[in-house]
Amino acid sequence: MINVPTLTTKRLTLRGPRASDQTGFVEFFLSPRAKYAGGSPDRAKAAQEFAEMVAHWPLHGFGSFIMIRHDNDQAIGHVGGLRPAGWPEPELGWSIWRDSDEGQGYAHEAVVAVRDHLFTDCGWTTAVSYVAPDNTRSLAFAERLGAYRDNGAQTPAGLRCFAYRHPIPGAAT
Amino acid sequence: MTTTLTIPTLTTNRLTLRGPQLGDFPRYAEIFASPRARYMDGPLDRDAAWKEFAADNFGWLVLGFGYWTVVETASGVIAGFVGLAKPPCYPEAELGWLLHPDFEGKGIAFEAAVAARQCAYDTFGWQTAVSYIDHDNARSIALAERLGCRLDSDAVMLGDHGLVYRHPAPEALQ
Repeated sequence: MINVPTLTTKRLTLRGPRASDQTGFVEFFLSPRAKYAGGSPDRAKAAQEFAEMVAHWPLHGFGSFIMIRHDNDQAIGHVGGLRPAGWPEPELGWSIWRDSDEGQGYAHEAVVAVRDHLFTDCGWTTAVSYVAPDNTRSLAFAERLGAYRDNGAQTPAGLRCFAYRHPIPGAAT
Repeated sequence: MTTTLTIPTLTTNRLTLRGPQLGDFPRYAEIFASPRARYMDGPLDRDAAWKEFAADNFGWLVLGFGYWTVVETASGVIAGFVGLAKPPCYPEAELGWLLHPDFEGKGIAFEAAVAARQCAYDTFGWQTAVSYIDHDNARSIALAERLGCRLDSDAVMLGDHGLVYRHPAPEALQ
């Protein structure tokens, strides 16, 4: 039995993925916004990525949530635990799908809630986020989340990135 | 609020079909690395096999069906995988099977496929099911025929060298 909780923040509902989320995810994946998220103009690959994201839940017992804005019920992005084959450790990842939802603090709100959930409910004892060295927005964001660059961490083969390690909730800083 | 996902366990004479676990993947990858995977766009390396494993199993959460791990009950050994899948690229939902070479020729795939099909019809409410089979895959074609399938030349094919076998409708199996 696998439980997919629904998390609620001030402005967002974070719920498990549904089949109807595929369209929004695919459009994101095909867009330039997915440049740092493995994006590709190949629609079949995008659909495959969606399947892989969803399959995390039955296989790992954790996975990604879809962010739904309370004010307009729109799915605006995804956030969650991610562990593709061959990665050295699971990642906490996020993406806002469209430019129009960027810059309003939604990702911050969602990542904080999901990070708490992974530590509290899923037994994570540490979490990293892989950020491309030229992705200045995400570098700043990772630091705002309290994560620090962990130069000793192994990073996924073939991925040019820094590993940002998140603080453990409740731990002395 | 929590969505709970429960994967039914099916039992047959010799087999237990249970929900997939991460620890089943090495066995899955082994099958995809074997020469028999040539009929399933293989052989595949581990990373590519993982994508297949994910595609087989994403349905449990969003579609309500997926793949089972087929365990030989007596030995506890994984004999293969059988299930119901509709990866995004499939024209319609498929009943598929993947047998480990060690378990060939024992009627295991037949026994597992019958149980999965029955679950699709009786529990999940499917009205029809297809199996996509490479036209050179004589063993799978023989199994499809043994399952009562017929070649459906009107159905949309998967890829360019596949056959579509349609399973008997639920009424026909009553």
